[in-house]
Amino acid sequence: MKKKLLSLLMVGAMTASMLAGCGDSGKSDAGTDTAKDDAGDAAADDAGDAAEGTEAAGDAAASGGENTLTVWCWDPAFNIFSMNEAAKVYQKDHPDVTVNVIETPWEDIQTKLTTAATSGALDTLPDIMLVQDNAFQKNVITFPDVFTDLTNSGVDFSQFAAGKTAYSVIDGKNYGVPFDNGAVIACYRTDMLEEAGLTIDDFTDITFDQYVENGKKVLEKTGKPLLSMQAGECDLIMMMMQSAGASLFNEDGTANILGNDTLKIVMETYKKLKDEGVLIEVNSWDEYVSSLTSGTVAGTINGCWIMASIQTAEDQSGKWAITNMPSLVGAEGATNYSNNGGSSWAVSSNCKDTELAFDFLASTFAGSTELYDNIISCGALATYAPAGDSEAYAAPNDFFGGDAVSSKIVEFSTKVPSNITGVYYYEARDAVATAITNYINGGDIEAELQTAESTVNNQMQ
Amino acid sequence: MSKPSSKMSLDKKHNMTGWAFLTPAALLIFLMSFVPMIQAFLLSFKMGKGNNLSTADPIFANYTRMFTDTVFTQSIKNTFFYLIIQVPIMLVLALILASILNNRQLRFKGLFRTMIFLPCATSLVAYAIIFRTLFANDGLVNLALVNLGILKTPYAFLTHATSAKIIIIIGLLWRWTGYNMVFYLSGLQNIEYSVYEAAKIDGASPIQTFFKITVPLLKPTILLTAIMSTNGTLQLFDESVNLTDGGPANASITMSHYIYNMSFKYVPTFGYAAAMSFLILILVAVLAFIQMKVGDKRD
Amino acid sequence: MTKGKKFLMYAFLILMSIISVFPLLWMVMAATNKSVDVTRGRLLPGTYLIENFKNLLAAQDVGSAMLNSFKYSIILTFVSLIICSLAGYGFEIFHDKAKDAVMSVILLAMMVPFVATMIPLFRMFSSAHLLNTTVGFLLPTVSTPFLIMMFRQSARSFPHDIIEAARIDGLSEIRIFFQMFIPTMRSTYAAAMTITFMNAWNNYLWPKVIMTDAKSQTMPMVVANLTQGYVTDYGMLMLAVLICTLPTAIVFFCLQKSFAEGITGAVK
Repeated sequence: MKKKLLSLLMVGAMTASMLAGCGDSGKSDAGTDTAKDDAGDAAADDAGDAAEGTEAAGDAAASGGENTLTVWCWDPAFNIFSMNEAAKVYQKDHPDVTVNVIETPWEDIQTKLTTAATSGALDTLPDIMLVQDNAFQKNVITFPDVFTDLTNSGVDFSQFAAGKTAYSVIDGKNYGVPFDNGAVIACYRTDMLEEAGLTIDDFTDITFDQYVENGKKVLEKTGKPLLSMQAGECDLIMMMMQSAGASLFNEDGTANILGNDTLKIVMETYKKLKDEGVLIEVNSWDEYVSSLTSGTVAGTINGCWIMASIQTAEDQSGKWAITNMPSLVGAEGATNYSNNGGSSWAVSSNCKDTELAFDFLASTFAGSTELYDNIISCGALATYAPAGDSEAYAAPNDFFGGDAVSSKIVEFSTKVPSNITGVYYYEARDAVATAITNYINGGDIEAELQTAESTVNNQMQ
Repeated sequence: MSKPSSKMSLDKKHNMTGWAFLTPAALLIFLMSFVPMIQAFLLSFKMGKGNNLSTADPIFANYTRMFTDTVFTQSIKNTFFYLIIQVPIMLVLALILASILNNRQLRFKGLFRTMIFLPCATSLVAYAIIFRTLFANDGLVNLALVNLGILKTPYAFLTHATSAKIIIIIGLLWRWTGYNMVFYLSGLQNIEYSVYEAAKIDGASPIQTFFKITVPLLKPTILLTAIMSTNGTLQLFDESVNLTDGGPANASITMSHYIYNMSFKYVPTFGYAAAMSFLILILVAVLAFIQMKVGDKRD
Repeated sequence: MTKGKKFLMYAFLILMSIISVFPLLWMVMAATNKSVDVTRGRLLPGTYLIENFKNLLAAQDVGSAMLNSFKYSIILTFVSLIICSLAGYGFEIFHDKAKDAVMSVILLAMMVPFVATMIPLFRMFSSAHLLNTTVGFLLPTVSTPFLIMMFRQSARSFPHDIIEAARIDGLSEIRIFFQMFIPTMRSTYAAAMTITFMNAWNNYLWPKVIMTDAKSQTMPMVVANLTQGYVTDYGMLMLAVLICTLPTAIVFFCLQKSFAEGITGAVK
């Protein structure tokens, strides 16, 4: 018996040696206060390992208890910061309410939401979660029992830009409180434009034809393309589509890819940009950001949140300017405004105290200009109209040549045409991305659209 | 362990002991893998989106659907491309490295071993960013190739179908060769070192020793790694998602990546996703069966 | 060995080591630089390490994530090694037709992509109230066909005459396992430990799904958190990745001697 014990200990020692001999890296930055606790836990778990399920410590529903709101969102510098600011604003009048933010990347929110909904464990959901606008329709329609109808929650949705609320309206009911603005801006390096004898005004309210002409001048004088885009991601395609109010789906939910005239114009425009060298495709998001910060391109077109990435290149301060995006030529309803990205707050069906959640949202993200003034520092721009009139939004931004960019973007966002996201948004987006890649590499446009349409139809089964 | 009754024959006693030894593990695998697998199998006969499921009609609809799904057939081709090219190269390379590093006269063995192992310890996030940066248009690889005069202008590696696949293979080789080397190194310890010394005295060349001694004696380990790598490659997910995102135009997407998309990125179609998963099971099982037949004989 | 051959061998090893380590060096350099310099491809050491470290500590609860990761990984490794080696030994030493068949069936368990079994598994765990528990973290991966097979394959080289001799000496089967097999197979255990620890440490999808509590975050989750959002701080991210990689690297370095330079003589 003694020997048996010894051998057992040996295995244990081998495991422990990992700690004893090598564990310094962990110790250096790990708090010691909980260490003892954990060791005890560990021993208990060993013993109880085979005997399943007696230790039901956790499983406490993610949804908070009395006067607590649990929230899932993902960006500490951005939406988590904003949520915490909202909590502060709300606590002024309701000191007994606490907001518990659990940092959860968007993809994980999606995975957990899907897992919880399909296994019927809705009690694992938080009270409030942030949902990507593009995924809103898909989730509400697929898992209707996860979301709470906010139509009569006291939130005044008429105060938000119509194009923005449209993302979270399903069957005429509101399921989301709009959060951040995804209005599309075109950013340019004014120093590079100058070299080509151009100014920001030459890029304001223009069409893509003019954009290409200007781009050729810039390319000739500076050797830099006007625009970089991530290959295989059709961000620009979708922005162009929405700028003319066009979608990849019809009202009845059927795919609208083959025979979609706007899509054809968009694809041809994209190819032209690429062929003329005005647009350069990069491999990844990192490379895209790098092309902006290291000055290998003279500008970009993207959701206004891209400004935060551009501004990390502090040495380029004052050399950037923003304006609206070029419009499509020959497309019906073409405008210089569009949207890319953005998200909205949803209340889950697991929320016990919906009155509290409603009141919280109505008096913060849908009712407090003070909140929006506080969070403008992190780059969160409102789609809440009253916020745009505040002084904070009129403040000049030195990085962008002293322009009042915030109020400019809020103004842009009111002009964005709304379109149909569609439940099968991601399916269609990927299929179109494939089509455009093949088309650029010499494929026939009609054949590629045909393939894309049948791929989407197949996946909609 | 209870004392077996003396009436039991020795064989029977051993038999029972064997079962007792493997019961905890087998029971856990049954509960944690087979129970959910059976549920997934039942699911593969259901159609519909999200929770809105109904029995497939005809019953094998999800299984026949795969063959008309061009993205899925593309993903099968890609996955087999990776399997056929990457697995043999990786295993041979790992074997060579392990036998070199098993040499007693070698200096700095520990350092070499650790360095070669390190890639698989690296978090996927870093590895993906680093690889994408290296193969970017203005990345180091292009810089080197252009400066050496091999290329005139930078080549967009990740946006061309063949080069994207090759980069995935390079990524896999980089990440997993050291991992497999570990098994060979530990397997080699079960071979008496004196066997090697004897061979050396007999005048056998290192290459002869490798094929005549190392490979046959490591057969059980080689079989293990072959099955593992086959399984890992057929379920390949990380590289496809993080290095190329399946692109360009699905040229590098793997089966597991597509199944994931069908379950979480797109409107969930769990029945179909489960059916595709069982196709993977069948493919791996067949390949593993062949490998076992070839390599799992007790001498 | 001739000088030429020796030179070739070292050259080959050095080349392989450089290829293996280069991306990691890049990571170390990146951890000392400002985000914007990282995106610009700076390869030299910078002066931003402390700043990155401060930012990381401010942004994420690295301490508790490290503790969680260590706790889960060590318990999992320990339990897993015992259960799986017992089974692998049982399958090989007492092998017969029935057990070989069971082994083949067990192998099937690793052949289904986890995405397919995750939802049924989650349903099981949530109804058994195992969310947010260590047991919940461990159970799905504690017994793996891979480890069982690894021990089964290595048990093949365990000399049967030792077992016979021990039986004649009157040792019970379990004692033979603990007193003979484990010490002899140290190299296999060390290799298995390295691999199991690494897999447990890097495990992401399952912990993410069942750990709904902020306090239960592990290191890979911290790293994932940092890649979200509109702006990525690459310097800080690389530092986090570095911290996340170190434990596995150190475990490997400490254990590699035991599995690569096995103690001959223990068998005889």
